[in-house]
Amino acid sequence: MKRSQHLWGVILAAAVLAGAASLLGNDYYLRIVFMMCVYYLCAAGMNVLVGYAGQKSLGQAGLFAAGAYAVALLTTRTEIDPWLALALAAVVSGVCGVLIALPSLRVKGPYLAMVTLAFGIVVEKLVGEWTEVFGGAQGIYGIKALTWNGQPLTSLQWVWLGIALCAVTHLLLRNLLQGRFGRALLSLQADEIASSSVGVRVYRAKVIAFVVAAVTCGIAGALVAQQNQYINSDFITFHLSIFILLLVLFGGAGSQYGPLVGTVILTVIDAALARWPSAQHFLYGFLLLFALYVMPGGVTGLLAKWLRRPAAAPDASSVTAAPARIGPQGEGDLLVAEGVTKNFGGVKPAQNVSFRLQRGHIHALIGPNGAGKSTMINMLTGLLDPSEGSIRFLGQEVSGRPVHAICRMGMGRTFQNLRLFADLSVLDNVMLGCHTRMTNGFLASLFALPGARRQEAATRQRALQLLNLVGLLHLAHQPAGSLPYGLQRRVELARALATEPQLLLLDEPAAGLNPQETAELGELLVRIGQCGVSILMVEHHMDLVMSISDHVIVLDYGIKIAEGRPAEVQANPRVVEAYLGVDEPQDAPAAA
Amino acid sequence: MTEALLQAILSGLAVGGAYALVALGFSITFTTTKTLNFSHGEFVSAGAFIGMSALFLVLGLPVTSTTFGQALPGAGAQLLALAAALGVMGLLGWLLYVIGVRPFAGRPGMAWVMSTLGFGVILQSIGLAIWGPKPVVVPGPVGDSVIRLMGVGVRPQELLTLGVAVVIMIGFDFVMNRTMVGKAMRAVAANGSVASLMGINTNAVMIGAFVVSSALAGLSGFLLAPIAQASLFMGLTVGLKGFSGAMIGGLSNPRGCVIGGFVLGLLESLVNLWSAQWREVAVFALVILVLAFRPTGLFGKQMVEKV
Repeated sequence: MKRSQHLWGVILAAAVLAGAASLLGNDYYLRIVFMMCVYYLCAAGMNVLVGYAGQKSLGQAGLFAAGAYAVALLTTRTEIDPWLALALAAVVSGVCGVLIALPSLRVKGPYLAMVTLAFGIVVEKLVGEWTEVFGGAQGIYGIKALTWNGQPLTSLQWVWLGIALCAVTHLLLRNLLQGRFGRALLSLQADEIASSSVGVRVYRAKVIAFVVAAVTCGIAGALVAQQNQYINSDFITFHLSIFILLLVLFGGAGSQYGPLVGTVILTVIDAALARWPSAQHFLYGFLLLFALYVMPGGVTGLLAKWLRRPAAAPDASSVTAAPARIGPQGEGDLLVAEGVTKNFGGVKPAQNVSFRLQRGHIHALIGPNGAGKSTMINMLTGLLDPSEGSIRFLGQEVSGRPVHAICRMGMGRTFQNLRLFADLSVLDNVMLGCHTRMTNGFLASLFALPGARRQEAATRQRALQLLNLVGLLHLAHQPAGSLPYGLQRRVELARALATEPQLLLLDEPAAGLNPQETAELGELLVRIGQCGVSILMVEHHMDLVMSISDHVIVLDYGIKIAEGRPAEVQANPRVVEAYLGVDEPQDAPAAA
Repeated sequence: MTEALLQAILSGLAVGGAYALVALGFSITFTTTKTLNFSHGEFVSAGAFIGMSALFLVLGLPVTSTTFGQALPGAGAQLLALAAALGVMGLLGWLLYVIGVRPFAGRPGMAWVMSTLGFGVILQSIGLAIWGPKPVVVPGPVGDSVIRLMGVGVRPQELLTLGVAVVIMIGFDFVMNRTMVGKAMRAVAANGSVASLMGINTNAVMIGAFVVSSALAGLSGFLLAPIAQASLFMGLTVGLKGFSGAMIGGLSNPRGCVIGGFVLGLLESLVNLWSAQWREVAVFALVILVLAFRPTGLFGKQMVEKV
């Protein structure tokens, strides 16, 4: 099996490295290897944050400081065991990680990068200027080193410990990133709105990424403090933050071995240039400026381009047919909207709209451009909150609930302008749809417990079944963004089905499809309806609407003007008026 | 007590003026190109050092000297130094845009954050190689004797900084709202591709934005150098405070940015009366507080993503 092969590979590599280190008699070289381990820990965690969750943090030095000073204060002011202090330092830096994750719940992109930068600078100032506690430039002496059999570790033992920690970190993060959590993080990097609409708890995932990066960085800081038995404010600089970020970007953000490659290369260069600090900084600046331009995927990205082999399409015979039912059975009203009103300033895309959706029906929501159809879908799925009125789904009020919770209740959706995770494979896109239906938690994924592995396998099988249903099995391993437009629409449909919805909301599913594709889509929708999924679609193709829907609702300027069976609606004079306008009334008879 | 308070308010406003200049620089590039110069702080330091080198040259000292000794540059020399600082910084801004921003602007992933950071690190390491890490005392253009104002001692350089900042703000506001150039900049900010369809040279406007923004950073460095000594590390905090000011006011609103800069300078100066260590923490706590309630700043427009 691949997983155990990898495990043995890592253990072997770590053992070889540890053996090679014992041949290095020289303390200077041992120190370089130790620092390599320390930086790898920082980089591996940072990769989760930068490479997977896509959050740029420029303040890792602050978290490094949190770990280092936690260990320093704990071991100098209390009689605590050094190993326990190391563990507590990891906890302290994890808490700091939550602290800098908090702004990320409110601000994005460059704002967030600047906030993290500010965090790093504040910590730097604090440890530098609050001398009573942190000792400033004089620092804190007498930090207790880790011990083994009552003796402080030797240089060689420190290196062994470092290698062991790196191997463990690599294995754990690999477990985490290859499954449910890795996919969720990648999806929120690509598109937060789509991510929450397939049920990913975006904020929680971001906080987890920040905490993972904080804990590894804090452990790294604590190790440095304990090995030196000394820490002062000169360790904590803005350049350290930049260096940690560079380790990841240079090696290859979002790649499994990127941080390793980046760490090895940059630590060696760093050691070689140690005598000329301004040359060191110049080089970092140069790499930051040009590395991303020349190799956006870092060193590993460059290598991967040469070594890439196309993945084979999954074997169709191994995929069982899709089950007769998608989503659970249920009783009672599916969805009831009452008096729903939405104001955007003076624009009112919904005014006192009421309707009722029934189980097992295909409903259509039609109306001229600007009638408020997409706004209605966005209110149903929780992306917008109605200004007034209530939306009850399965007997529970929807408005005010977060998007992912509504998805979890059983509402799936597609978007008017496709929102696929373009860089992820078609299969991963669909597996992301299953996110809320998976129950393996963070720790189960981290340690790859058997339950988590079973769920992962079952999810994969399920996603392949759905791809089979929409006829895309042969493209499962292609990046979703590389597919033609019509096929991308079907991927999005499969992704929405993977959330096991009771109600599927489709925002213009036939937009941009040719007549042939539109007809195929109609057949597919009927088949999905037969699987027990009720559908509400916004659509402009009247052939499609009239041929497959059971019930049509017509909006015009935010007001519901008609509803009923397709034929009734077609005959309704107000609908005709809304679409075609009316002739000027001829009731002013010529003067008699 | 009231004297100390007045003193704090005045010097807070002066430093706030410098922050406001920096904040305005952030706002200009953000509105036109949707990017920020993450090395804006280093640009502030660079402005100070370029002004200083120009003074050295005029006085006949080598560029690499690190002290003015007894030499006192005259008004002409100071003006020349100012022109040099503005000009060179403008050129650096243009260079930054061409090699650090244009290749990445508008693409996902914010690679421009890294490239602009890298540019700043390069500038700083060049500076360190020439002048070393020690700060340099720079003589002010209006003398260093303290003026007495209502019993409060004020350094003339502080008044000058405040005055220059206010004049620049008013001038900028006029240009943005009343002239064709300002209209073009606002058009590019609102929608670059439509602006280019209307015949506006968006590339030139974007380059112009970076040139002006960098020149403003240089100006604030030049003005701050006599107040706080020229140091290669002075810029990082000034840049960060400037950005904080911009965030408090709202990056998309230039007037808001200016107000934010002044507010921050005042706050910092007043907290300093009470405790120097907590100055930085108070400033950033305010930023976080504002962001928690108004993520786009007090005067910024709400960002709405269309689905």
